[in-house]
Amino acid sequence: MERLAPQPAPLTWRVATLARLQPETSSATTLILDVPEWPGHLAGQHVDVRLTAEDGYQAERSYSIASAPQDAHLALTVERIDDGEVSPYLTDELHPGDQLELRGPIGGYFTWNAADGGPLLLLGGGSGLVPLMAMLRHRAAAKSDAAATVLVSARSWEDVLYRDELATHDDHGVTVRYTLTREQPPGWAGWAGRVNLEMLRELGADPGVPLRVFVCGPTGFVEHVADVLVQLGHDPHRIKTERFGPTGG
Amino acid sequence: MEATEQHTDGNAIAGILQEIFVAEFTTLERTCQSCGDRNPAGAHRSYRGAGIVLRCPHCGDVALRLAVLPDEYVFELRGAWSRRSNT
Repeated sequence: MERLAPQPAPLTWRVATLARLQPETSSATTLILDVPEWPGHLAGQHVDVRLTAEDGYQAERSYSIASAPQDAHLALTVERIDDGEVSPYLTDELHPGDQLELRGPIGGYFTWNAADGGPLLLLGGGSGLVPLMAMLRHRAAAKSDAAATVLVSARSWEDVLYRDELATHDDHGVTVRYTLTREQPPGWAGWAGRVNLEMLRELGADPGVPLRVFVCGPTGFVEHVADVLVQLGHDPHRIKTERFGPTGG
Repeated sequence: MEATEQHTDGNAIAGILQEIFVAEFTTLERTCQSCGDRNPAGAHRSYRGAGIVLRCPHCGDVALRLAVLPDEYVFELRGAWSRRSNT
């Protein structure tokens, strides 16, 4: 593990500058940032973002890194929580050239490096897709031939992050499948509803195969998917999970 | 937010733990004093209330208790924690 850690240094706050904003869905936006002396990161890591009000009040939130370690800019995809304290500012008020404080990269457990190999099984609920996207981008940039199967769970087709880009990864050793939990477009041929045993079986989530399993999303999603994987016979110790919880956004 | 009803996990508090321990924390492995199960810190469940509590993902017993005070962090670690050396 140590050999992969890019930064042994203490965690310090850095000032990042917003290069541009990229809308992803009606509620999610990607912040493309310039971070001077960024030490590099691993796919799956996150950063803490800190906002300071004029009266000194500070609010901190964690956001997964969406960009591959090879990318020139650091990208964070932020889901706007309407009554949140931080996310509406990041998605609606921030303009190119504005600065914000962040520290990272953080975390070493929920990470994947191309050298770790595959096959990968990536299961993302809502914005839980963000760190998994960093893994797919890293996989492509590193020209890894690790097979990857991705299950994207979203409320509706409009809520699926990185839709067009996911389509470009599909077929190049990557299989992407979708389940829409609340609303399906007319003629929808994908899955509907919560992740279940049949979906995971069809995806080839066979406990006999030494898969590297990553599950990320809201706590309820992660607990449910991990439970289904264990029902299938997977060893819970081999399932890496990251829970977003009921964030204050 | 539903108070502490819904937990997250060790990853969610990795920033503050790295600040305290000046090292990546989520890959530290802990053997539980209660059930003996061994898991990385990142796999533990995290609960936030007045302080932060990490719990064993297998039996739920307390692994870490942490209070953030105005000028210090106060914490208690339970179980056997291990970190792979570089050699």
